Formats: sequence, C-alpha cells, structure tokens
Amino acid sequence: MIKAAGLTIWLAVAIGSTGQPVVGQPVGIVVESATMAAGQPMPRDHSPDGRNESPPLAWRGLPAGTRQLAVICEDHGAGNPPPWVHWIIYNIPPGASGLPQGIPFDPADPMPRGLERARQGNNGWGLAMYRGPAPPPGTVHEYEFTVLALDTELDLPAGLTRAELLEAIEGHVIGRGNLVATYARMPAAAGIQ
Amino acid sequence: MKRDQTVDPAAHAGLSRRDLLKVAGAAGAAALAPTALTASAAQPAAPVPLPVVPVARAAGPLMNLTAAETEILSAMVDRLIPSDELGPGALEAGALRFIDRALSEAESQSADAYRAGLAALDRYSRYSRGAAFAELPVRDQDSVLIDVQTGAATGAGTGFDGSSAGFFNMVRDHTWQGTFGDPQYGGNAGFIGWDLIRYPGVRLRVTDEEQRMLEAEELEPARRSAYDFGQFQTGRPAPSERGR
Amino acid sequence: MPQQLRAADVVVVGLGAAGGVAVLPLAQAGLDVVGLEAGTWLDRRDFAPDEIRNNVRDWPMLVKKAELERPTSRANAAQTANQIGSHPMMNAVGGTTLHYWAQSWRLNPWDFRVVSETARRYGRARIPAGSTVEDWPFGYEELEPWYDVVEREIGVSGQAGNLRGTIDPRGNKFEGRREREYPMPALRWTAFHDRMAEAARGLGWTPFPGPAAINTAEYGGRAGCGYHGYCNKGGCPLDAKNSTHLTTIPKALATGNLRVVTRAHVTTVQVDGEGRVTGVNYLVGNNEYFQPARVVLLASYTYENVRLLLLSQSDAYPNGLSNNHGQVGRHYFSHHQGGAVSALFPYDLKAWYGLPAQGVAVDEWADDNFDHSALDFIGGGNLWAMSDRRPIGAASMSTFGRARAWGSDWKRFIHENADRSHSFYIQKTTLPYEDNYLDLDPRVTDALGFPVIRITGEFKQNEQRVAAFVQDKAEEWYRAAGAIEVTRAGVGGAMGASTHAYGGTRMGDDPETNVVDRWGFSHESPNLGVLGASVMGTSGARNPTLTAQALAWRTAAHLAESWSSIAG
Repeated sequence: MIKAAGLTIWLAVAIGSTGQPVVGQPVGIVVESATMAAGQPMPRDHSPDGRNESPPLAWRGLPAGTRQLAVICEDHGAGNPPPWVHWIIYNIPPGASGLPQGIPFDPADPMPRGLERARQGNNGWGLAMYRGPAPPPGTVHEYEFTVLALDTELDLPAGLTRAELLEAIEGHVIGRGNLVATYARMPAAAGIQ
Repeated sequence: MKRDQTVDPAAHAGLSRRDLLKVAGAAGAAALAPTALTASAAQPAAPVPLPVVPVARAAGPLMNLTAAETEILSAMVDRLIPSDELGPGALEAGALRFIDRALSEAESQSADAYRAGLAALDRYSRYSRGAAFAELPVRDQDSVLIDVQTGAATGAGTGFDGSSAGFFNMVRDHTWQGTFGDPQYGGNAGFIGWDLIRYPGVRLRVTDEEQRMLEAEELEPARRSAYDFGQFQTGRPAPSERGR
Repeated sequence: MPQQLRAADVVVVGLGAAGGVAVLPLAQAGLDVVGLEAGTWLDRRDFAPDEIRNNVRDWPMLVKKAELERPTSRANAAQTANQIGSHPMMNAVGGTTLHYWAQSWRLNPWDFRVVSETARRYGRARIPAGSTVEDWPFGYEELEPWYDVVEREIGVSGQAGNLRGTIDPRGNKFEGRREREYPMPALRWTAFHDRMAEAARGLGWTPFPGPAAINTAEYGGRAGCGYHGYCNKGGCPLDAKNSTHLTTIPKALATGNLRVVTRAHVTTVQVDGEGRVTGVNYLVGNNEYFQPARVVLLASYTYENVRLLLLSQSDAYPNGLSNNHGQVGRHYFSHHQGGAVSALFPYDLKAWYGLPAQGVAVDEWADDNFDHSALDFIGGGNLWAMSDRRPIGAASMSTFGRARAWGSDWKRFIHENADRSHSFYIQKTTLPYEDNYLDLDPRVTDALGFPVIRITGEFKQNEQRVAAFVQDKAEEWYRAAGAIEVTRAGVGGAMGASTHAYGGTRMGDDPETNVVDRWGFSHESPNLGVLGASVMGTSGARNPTLTAQALAWRTAAHLAESWSSIAG
C-alpha cells in the first residue's frame, strides 16, 4: 500500500473485510475531509473537548457496481480487544459523495437530504451515534475513517455493532478507502473557565 | 453482553423493519398459539395521550442547593426524562423535590457530590460548547450529557476531576427514583412515572380475577401510595429505637 | 468483667432461618433455651410495599452490626481483599427470612453423593482438579423426614413430583422420593408462566412450579400470598411469607422454655480446660454479659459462624475454636448465580404482580439429570422463570441496544417495553476447592476492633463450563417462548459475598477434613454445634435455606434425644 495525503492505492491484490485476499481490478476509494488532513490532529469540535460532532467526509473513486456505502471510525489502539469503535453508519446511497458535518444523534432529528435511509450502528459505548476521541490525557491516538463500497443494497437495521455489520456485508465489499487523523486531549484554552 | 440479531416484528417508531440476519431457531416460537398475552404484540404501542397533570415544572427554592445549582440540575433532569408529546417528564413528576428531600435525609452524604458535579457540568459545558449548560439549545445539552455519561468529560480542563460518569449515574439514579418511586418521597407526582411505564399500581392483594383482568387489559390502575394503606404508619419509631 | 447470667441448657446464637427453626424442637423437648439475636423484632406494619426503602435504600441494614462487620473479598490469594459494599444478610428475629425470596427446595439425591455418583457414572477422574468435594455423611433418604417436618412447621407450598415412588408429571420427576405431599399447593402461574411452560414442553422438557415457604391458602392462622410484587427484599404485609419469626419462634416461646434476647452481639465462645464450650460472651450496647450454657449452637450465617470460631481463641484452641485440624473456613464456596441470561419479548408479560418464588422450573439440566459423558464438566443448573418487577427497576431496564437510556426516544421505548423484559439468574452446581476459603482479614476490623471475615474465592473452570452450558439452554427456552433479544452476562470472576454461602464448618465423618460430625457437632468440642449452610459440602442447583433448616431441626432433635451424652 502507498499512503500519500489521504490517497490509498490498492495494488494487484486488495484485502477484503474478512482478511481474505480479493483478487481483482485495482480499486481505491479516496477519502478526504474539509476539516481533517491525513496524519494531522482533527479539530476539537469532533471530540468531547468541543461540540463532538461527526466530521465531514468526502469520497471519490467508488468502484463500478457500487450499490451502497458504509463508514466506520475506529481506534486500533484502544478497546479490549481493539479496536474501539467511535462511529458506524451504513445504508448510505451510492450517489452520496460524502457526509456533512454533524450527522444527527437523536432519532427524532431528520438525516440530511439524500441520507434519509442511512442508519447508525452502535459504537463502543453502545450508542448509535458518532462520539469522538477521548484518549487518556497525554497520549496521542489515531482514528481511522474507513469507507466501504458494497455491491448490494442491504436494508440493515439501526444499532448494529461493528461485528454484526461486518458479518452482514461479508462477501459484498468491493472497495475501500480510509483517512487517518490523530487526536490528543486539549486542556482548556486560556480564558475559558 | 453479546448482542443478538433477530427478527423484530414490532419495530418501534423511526426504525425500518429488520431482516433476518441470523436464523433464530424460531420454529418453537411459531408453534406456540397466540394468546391474549401475545395479542399486545400485534399493535406496537402508540403514544398514549396521558392525563394532563397540573404540576408545576419548577420545584420552587430547594433547601439543599442554591438557585444557580437548581437551575443547572433542573435543565439536566429535564433532558433525562423530558416533557414531550408522550406526556410530562421528570420535572413535572417532582424529581427535584424528591432529590432535595433525599439530600436532607437518606442521601445527605451526596450533597457535596451534587455541588461539585453541577459546577463541573457547567464548567464543561462552557469549555466544550461555549455556554452555560442551562443556556444551551436542548440538543447541545443532550450532547453534553452524553459525554458526561460516557466519562469522556473527564480530565484537565474539562471540569470533572474524576470520572464524570459517576456524577451522571448519581443524578440519573435519583431522577429515576424521583419519577418512578412511591409518591411518599416527593416524586412521581400525579403518578406521572407509573403511568408512563403502565404500572397498574400498589395493591396488597391481587386476586386471581385481578391478574386475569390485568392480562386482558381490563384492570384500572390503582393510583395510590403504599402509605395510603393505614397499616404502614409512617410515624412509628424505627425498629432500632423500639424496645423489643 | 462480663456480668454472668443464669445458666441455660442451650444457647442459640442467631435466630434466623436455621436458629429460628432449631429452637422449636429444643423447647418442645423441655430444654431451657436462650436465643441471642443481634437484631430486633419487626412486624407487618414495617413492611410497606415501598421499592425505594426495600430495594434502593437497603432497609435490611437497619441494625448496624451486619453492616459494620462486612467481609472483605478477593478472587485469589494473589490479590488484596477489599471490603464489600453491603452485607447480604439481615439481623432481626427471623433474620433474612423476613425478606428473603422464600424459595424452599429440597436438594436432589445426587447432591449428597457427588463423588461416588460421578465415579460410578463417569470415573473418578471427572472430579474437577483442585476440588475438595466429599460425599455427605448420609444420603437424601436420611434427611427426608426432616425436610418433611420443616415443610409442615414452616408451611411450604409446592407440587410433589415423586410421591412415595410414584412420579407425578405435574411436579419434578427428578426429585428425591417424598413420603407426603406438600402442606399447600404451589403458588399460581400467570399467563406468561403458562407460555413458558408450554414452550418448555415443546422442547421436550418437563416444567413444574417451584416450592416456596409462602402460604397459598390460610395456614398457621395466617392468610395466603397476595402476589403484590414487593416480595423481593421486602417483608410481607399479609404475614403470608413464612419467616421463622411468624412460625417456629412464636411456637417455641409458647412452650415457656425459650427466652429471646434481642440486640445481643455475641463476641466470643468460651471454653473450659478440656476444650468443652461453657457459654458465650455478648454485648447489648455497652453492657457485656456471659451466658453460660451446657451446649452452644452457632446459627449466625456462614460468615459469622466461621468468624466467631476463629475469634474464639484459647489455650485449647490457639487457632480458633474447633480449628486444631485447620478446617474452619475451608471448603467454602458461594453459589454460582451469575452469568444471567436476559431477554426482551415483543409482548407484555403482565409481571407487575408476582414474586420471585412464583415461577416455572426446569430441572432437565441440573445436577446429573443429563448424560455428561461427552461433556467436560460435572453438575448443572436449575432454570427458573419467575416474576419480579417493580417500577424503578423496570424503568432502569436495559434497552438491548435499541435506544439511548434517557431522553424522548427512551420514553417511547420504556412506555412500550417496561413489562417486556425477563432474566434468568440460574443457580448452578458449585463445588468446594482448595483455593477458596474464609479467614480473618489481616487489616480490616469491625467497630469493636475485631477482624472481619476475608473471602478468598473465584469460580473455577468446572463452574464456568456449567454456566456456559446452561446459558445455552436458557436462551433456547427464551426463544421458544418468542423472545426477540437474548443477552448473556459473563460466567467467570470472583465469588464475592453471597446470600448463598456454604462451607467453612463442613459436616462429615472425617475430622481431618470436616469441622462438625454427621449430627452437626464439632469433632473437637463435642458440646458445640453449628447450624446453617456453613455445614453443607455441596450446593446443588438449589436455594440452600430449606436444607439448612432441615439439618438444623435434625441437629436439634438429635441433641434433645442424646442430651446427656452431648451436654455432659
């Protein structure tokens, strides 16, 4: 794999979600964000130090035959066992080119236009929403946002765990891409009490 | 705890119908004949217009908390069990009155934890969302409380020194007791809490016929406190003070 | 200097389940009995159906003695023990029987013969490594008449499954033969219980109602159960729960041969130069007394029975009374009751009115009732589908990942689902092991400066395997009844303190490995007896109380019959 400025290129063999090699065409989804740069700290508003809103994501390079998308945000350096899941969202239509900032966390609030059928799964706290980084103070963790392209339109219910989602989409993943940002807890800025 | 994937025939409002993700071995379930008991599954419970109870949302001045502390606690309790189209919530049920009374007696050792926690909640709210907790839009209040609940609102600068989850759980527990506990303790005003969960009420004896009526949805709720029964004189000295 | 009181024939320390039963045959035999109880009398006017007082604010801790002598607990000897949050037992006349769930089971015959039966059926190698389990010094048949007399004196309701050798399919086909029916029919079933029973039958199992020390009809001059829903950790406002303060203790008092002393905090047992016990020291407030007696019976529950022995040191017993063989505190275990299985149903269970002793039992997977040849454990668990729901508890139910636990979305969830959850706590075979024991904590003391008990115990591989196996059966049962979600708790971990604590003063013929003999009297100090589950060497898949009570009656009856040889 070659990583450069958010671009992940899969060479001759891509690895599917179950760890088995999927031999085929090179497929590479490019994942970017208006607020996050690869390998850089994400803004505090995507964490409990700020508004704790899901970050905006944008993707391109979906493989031909993509019928649906799913996104997972996880920290491979946390959890027992790892990873610690911060966000799962799926049932995303193939026409969506990304997710706006601040996907609602309350079922009573409508999803953004075009994403009405999207559903959120249960993160590591058992909550069907995005909850951002809260690493132990003094440490820096990495957070991987993975976009998965599926060859089938599934009608998955809300509240699936990472394991349940992966089991449900097994055999249907035809492409993936990711964006990794970092975070460390930020102490109160001067003047904020 | 391992979560399970099964068919959900009575998906509640807002969720799509579930597919079978895993064979649930439902042959047994299909074989059992429907009964009055299972008939309630056929209609997912719709929001019931609960009786309007003229109870003030504000508790008035509390004995154990300042006005500022009361405002923050009131806003928090209001988000835990809100007043909405399903009916009145914890404030109407008198949860603040319950908490105040508890802090005067059985929970007096928690008074410091309330003061410290409410101050920390407000500090965290300003630090992360840019305003005092009571002044935030309700959705931002919810987001703050989620972070307090998970313990994410912890650490230098956030306002909470130890885990914020301990404070959240204390207020949550007391709010539940003040909403769903016996009215004797100052909460569950107008039986708001018991009506929300469809509890049929305190009885000393439930006859076979009353159980049958309950199962047939024919039993009227008994709206009373346990202490409305004369048998349980609240003025008796505690056993440790009696002669025997 | 303690004030010396008038001598009694027998002093009974603790008037709970076991002590409260033993005083009756002793008093009826004409013996002069003093019952010392750390708590006080309570009555039905104290027993409001109040969830905040009973279940949230822990009212059983009214008398401070139990709270201040809370044990410490650790999983194994590599750890430091920490004091538990609250003591599980209650000090009162009647003890924990005032508020207990009153499930009132006989052990199955296999529970008395775990070693020989396992050896016979599967080979001795199948006894788990590290276990110190022994056969009881007698079988179920020996205890049967004592179960019978206690069931009648206390008042136990149930449905026989094996009446004089004839199997009744309405009852438990696996039970030991009983000579008489239960004094009262079993508690009623709700429509949900009927459904669970039907589901069990569909799986080829044989469900039956559980036995309870609770009236289902007028008995003993008191009314039948009202099913009001506050039985769990609550006293009964109708006096229908057959606590010893309503049954055997008043009957003993009526003979004129029993004196009850309340608020009595027993500190040590005294001995003479030959190692025979001479009486007990106790405090009432700041006043100290010595109660001389020809026989001392300890009945203060497992932790305190062991503690009193260990604290009663003398020249004859430098390591604690009756502990010259180092067996006091050994062979301790508590029931594996964890590994709960919970379910969400798509319909209301109508479980608001009911009680934990009301329910559907399945014994197919208990003890050795099924073939273990191809399995890697011995023993099993009793599946028990009961009723137990109160408002605050119901409003605190798991949302099974379907909603946040508060807010408007939660309100919709709870409005629909508050009466739709259920849990099995599953009592399983638990065995004693070399590594699990009670001793005195090296650091923590009670208010008087005496060390509290330290529990060193964790659930071993055999018990964890039993738990995992029976969890599968529990889930199968739930799904057959239509559950749409089933979750499980973990099966391992530290034992902690428990209301089902066994051993520490084990009963057996061999003085090298047991503290008391087959009658319940110390191998080392023949006029010292011990009552309660601390004498039991196995648990079965059952609540211990009725067995502890049957043993207590039997010990007391033997004492009365053999008075001169024991009392000296």
